[in-house]
Amino acid sequence: MVGQRQWNRRIAAFVFLLPALLGLLAFQLLPMMSSVVISFTDWDLLTNWTKMHFVGWSNYAEVFREEKSYTAIKNVFVFLIGYMPSLAVLGVFLAVLLNRSLPGIKAYRAAVFVPVITSWVAVSIVWRWILNGQSGLLNYLLSRIGIQGPIWLQDDTWAMVAIIAVTVWKDLGFVALILLAGLQDISEDYYEAAELDGASAWRKLWSVTLPMLSPTLYFVVTISLINSFQLFDQVLIMTNGGPAGATSTIVEQVYKNAFQFNKMGFAAAQSWVLFAIILAVTMLLQRLQRRWVIYER
Amino acid sequence: MFRKCGAILLVIGMFALGACGSGKGNDASGSASDTASASPSAASSASPSASSEAPKESVTIKLLMYTPSGGQEETVKAMVEAFEAANADVKVDYEVVPYADYGTKLNTLLSSGSAPDLFEVGYENFRTYAAKDLLLDLTPTIAADTSFKPDVYKKLAYDAFNYNGKQMGVTESFSDVVLFYNKDLFDAKGVKYPDASWTWKEELDAAQKLTDAKNGIWGTYAPIQFYEFYKTIAQNGGGVWDAGGKPTIGSKANVDALQWMIDKASKYKVSPALNDDTFNQPDADLNAFAAGKLAMARFGIWNFGKFATEAKFNWEIALEPGNTQKAHHFFADGLVASRDTKHAEAAWRFMKFFTSDPAAVGKRIEAGWSVPAVADDAVMDAYYKQTPPASKKIVTEALDSLVLPPVGPKPEKWGEFTAAVGEELDKAKLGRSTAQEALDAAQKKVKELLSK
Amino acid sequence: MRGRRLLANGLAYLILTAVSLVLVFPFAWMLSGAFKDSLEVVKMPPTLLPSHWNFDNFARIEQYFPLYRFLLNSAVVAVATTALQLLVCTMSAYAFAKIPFKGRQGVFLLFLTTMMIPAQVTLVPLFILFSKTNLIDTYAGLILPGIFSAYGTFLIRQHMLTIPNELLEAAFMDGASYYRVFRSVVVPLVKPTVAALTIFAFMGSWNNFLWPLIAVNSKELMTLPLGLSKLQGRWSTEWDILMAGNVVSFVPIFLVYLVSQRYFIKGMTMTGIK
Repeated sequence: MVGQRQWNRRIAAFVFLLPALLGLLAFQLLPMMSSVVISFTDWDLLTNWTKMHFVGWSNYAEVFREEKSYTAIKNVFVFLIGYMPSLAVLGVFLAVLLNRSLPGIKAYRAAVFVPVITSWVAVSIVWRWILNGQSGLLNYLLSRIGIQGPIWLQDDTWAMVAIIAVTVWKDLGFVALILLAGLQDISEDYYEAAELDGASAWRKLWSVTLPMLSPTLYFVVTISLINSFQLFDQVLIMTNGGPAGATSTIVEQVYKNAFQFNKMGFAAAQSWVLFAIILAVTMLLQRLQRRWVIYER
Repeated sequence: MFRKCGAILLVIGMFALGACGSGKGNDASGSASDTASASPSAASSASPSASSEAPKESVTIKLLMYTPSGGQEETVKAMVEAFEAANADVKVDYEVVPYADYGTKLNTLLSSGSAPDLFEVGYENFRTYAAKDLLLDLTPTIAADTSFKPDVYKKLAYDAFNYNGKQMGVTESFSDVVLFYNKDLFDAKGVKYPDASWTWKEELDAAQKLTDAKNGIWGTYAPIQFYEFYKTIAQNGGGVWDAGGKPTIGSKANVDALQWMIDKASKYKVSPALNDDTFNQPDADLNAFAAGKLAMARFGIWNFGKFATEAKFNWEIALEPGNTQKAHHFFADGLVASRDTKHAEAAWRFMKFFTSDPAAVGKRIEAGWSVPAVADDAVMDAYYKQTPPASKKIVTEALDSLVLPPVGPKPEKWGEFTAAVGEELDKAKLGRSTAQEALDAAQKKVKELLSK
Repeated sequence: MRGRRLLANGLAYLILTAVSLVLVFPFAWMLSGAFKDSLEVVKMPPTLLPSHWNFDNFARIEQYFPLYRFLLNSAVVAVATTALQLLVCTMSAYAFAKIPFKGRQGVFLLFLTTMMIPAQVTLVPLFILFSKTNLIDTYAGLILPGIFSAYGTFLIRQHMLTIPNELLEAAFMDGASYYRVFRSVVVPLVKPTVAALTIFAFMGSWNNFLWPLIAVNSKELMTLPLGLSKLQGRWSTEWDILMAGNVVSFVPIFLVYLVSQRYFIKGMTMTGIK
C-alpha cells in the first residue's frame, strides 16, 4: 500500500512538473546552454552563427582584466545596498497600511500600483525634469529647506542615488502588492491571541506579521536581489550608463557589447560571470532563509 | 475555479489551431518564395537566360529600414507602390524599425542567417558590414546595367558606399550640420550676421555681444559629445587618426579644440554653464533655439521643419565658423543588399528606383523626410524652394569641407570606440579631468582597443 | 479604545494619501502630457495642466501605426500568455511545494537559475531556435516563450508552502487524488497570489518589447510596444503623442489590476487590524 502511494506520488510530481519542465528545457535551458558555447567564441553577432570561432577562455580572461567590469559590479552592489532594504522596509510598511479595512482602501491600492504599470520611456522625461539640477522640482523643494541639491543625473556621485530612488518609486507598489497577498493569508486568530496576551501593535508586527510573512518576504528579497543584479532599463533610458560610467551596470554592458559593440562572445562570458555572482548570493540567501523564514504554522 | 480552467483549455486549443493554421500559411509562402528564388539563382550561372526568365515569376524582396520611423512610413509605402506599379514582377515587403533598436534587429537577422534582401545602413555602420563581408558587391551589376549612371548621385555621397574599390551600396540621402542663427537677436544688438568668412574668433566676438545671461539668452551653443568633438577638432586642423590609421587623439590641436568647447561655457560664458543640465533634457537645445534663447547653435539640417513651424522669429543658416579651417559633419544613409540575397537583380532595380528615380526622390522631398543625394539641381530645386531658411544652398556648400565619421582602421570597433572617447569627454565636461588628461586617457583606451 | 482606533485610522489615511501622491505624481504628469501640444510637453519648467487641452494626440497615433490592430495583437498575446502561464506555474509550484520527490531541491534551483542569466544573451539562440521551427512571425512564436516563468512558479510555491500539510493529509485520507487536492484544496487557498501573478504575467507580456521586436516582421502581428517605439524617430521624438500612446497602453493593465484586486478580500478585511 505504501509502495502504491509512493508510486502515485512520483507520477503526480512528474505530471504536474512536465509542462514547466518541457518549456524550461526548450525556451530557457537550451538558449542558456547555447550562450555557454557562445561565451567561448569570438562571435560578433554579424557573421552567421554557424561560422563562429572558438577562442578558449580568452573572453573570460578579458572580463576579469577589464576595469569596466569591476566598475559595473561595484555599481550594482551600491545599487543593491540602497535599493533592497528600502524596498523591503517600505514595502512591508505600505502593505500593512493597505491591508487595513478602511473605506476607500481600494483606491489607495490602485494608486500605489500606478508606477508599476507606467512605462519607463514615458515617465523618464518626467523624472528627468524632477531631477534636473537647475530647474528641477526636487532641488526646488530642497532649496526651500536650505539645501543646494546636486545635478542628480549628470553628477557621477549622485546619479546612482537618483537611479535607486527612481527604481524604488517604480517597484514599491509591486512589492507592496505581493506582500499584501501574503498578509491576506494570515489568520485573524493569531492577532486575537496576541491581543489576549496584551501585545502592542509593534509587538504584533514583530511576533505575528513578520514571521507569518517571511515566506513572501523571502520571495521579495530573492527577486529584488536578482532584479538588482540585472539593473538595465532605467539606466539605459535615464543616464545611458553615464556620466563617465558612474551608472554603468553589468547588463547594460552586456547589452551594448552584444548589440552595439559586436562582441557577443564577450557579452555571453560577462553574463556567465554575472550568473556566478547571482547564484552565489542566492545560495547564501537560501542558506540563511532557514534562520528566518517560517513555513509551518 | 475549474470552470475557468476549462475556458483556459479552450483558449489553449484555439491557439494550437491558430498556430497550426499560421504555420501552414507560412509554409505555403515559404515554398512559394523558394520556388521563385530557385530560378534566378539557378539561372544566374547562365546569365543570358536569367534576364528572360526572371520576370515571369514574381519575387518578393524584404527590406529593413530605420529612417522612416517616426512618421514617414506612409512615404515609404507610396514609394514602394510606385515601384511595384512599374515593376510588376517584384513585390517589396518592407519593415521599419526605430533607429535605437535597428542594430539589435538587423544583427540578429544577419547572424542567424535570415538577413533581409535589402537593408538601410548609415556610413559608419556600412564600413563594419562591408568589412565583415556581409554585403553584396554591386560592381558587376552596375557595370552590366547600361541604363545606370553613377553621376546621378552626388559623388561624395555615392563614394561613401564604396569599400576598398567595391561599390557595396547606393546612397539614399545625406545630411549635415550647419550654424543656425536667430536674425532677430542679431538685429536687436546690431551684430552683423555670420558669413562664410567667420572663424571661431568672430563667433566668440558676436556671441559675447549677444549673450544676455539675465534673460537666459546665450550667444552660441554646441553640445560636448563625441560627434561634436570630432568635427570641432577638424575645424582646428586636428583629427582622431593619422594617415596611417594610428590614433592621434591627444594631439595639441585636439586638446586646444576641446579646451575651446569647454571655454565657451566656463571661461567666456557665452554658452550655458556645463553644470546646467537643463540642456540634457530631450530636445532641450532645439527647444531653446525655437524659443529664442540661443543666438547661434550648431544643429542638423533635419531640424528645418521643426523650426519652420515652431520658431516665431526670423532665422537663417550659415556655414560653421572654423578655427584654422572649415569642417562640417556629413552623414550618409544608403541601401545595401545582403550577400546572400537570392534576388540580386530585383534588389538592384529597387535600389536604383528608391534612391534616384524622380518619382521616389520627389516624394521624399515633398514629405520633408530627408535630403536625397542626387546631383541633378533641377530635382533638388524643389528642396531648395522649401523655406525657411532662404539660404538653403548652404546645405550643399557645407559639403565642400565635410568630415566623415572617423571610423578608423577597425570599423567593427566603432561603437566601442565612440563610447570610450565619449566617457572621457564626459569627465572633461564634469571638470573631473582637464582637456589634456581626458584626451590622453582617450588615446590610451583607443590604443588598447585597436590592439585587441 | 474607539478613540485610539480613530486616531490610527486617521494616521493611516494621512500616510497613505501622502505616499499615493508621491507615487502617482509622475504618472499624473504623463497623463496631462498626453493632452499638451508638442511644444508644451517638453517645456521647461513644465506646466502642471495643459494650457489648452489638445485631444488630437490620441487620434494622431494612427498616423504612426495601426493602433487598433496592434492593441488587438497585444491583447491576444497577453491573454493567452497569462492563461497558460498561470496553469503551468500553479501546476509546477504544487509539485515543488507539496509533492516530495527525489531531487526536488535540485530541480527547483535549476528553475531559479533561469532567472539569473540576462535575456540579452539568450535572445539570439532563442531566435535561431524559433526560426528553425518556423515559429517566427506567428502568434505561437510570440506566446510560447512567455508561458514558462520560473518567477511565477517561485511566487506561487512560496505561498503554497505555507499551507499546512495536515490539511492535505485530511483530503488524502478521504481518498482524494493529487489532482483533486490541487484543484479543490491548494488552488483555492492561494487565490490572492494567483491574482497577483495574473497581473504580473499580463503586464510582462503586455510590455514585452525585445522579443516581439525580433520575433515578428509583419504588421499584422505587431504588438503595442513595437508601435509605441515607432513614435521615436532617429533625430526626434513626438513626446506629446508618445505620452498619449503610453496612456493607451496603461489602461488595459490597470483594468486587469482592478479586476484581480477582487481576489484580495479575505482574512483581514473582515475585521481589520485592531
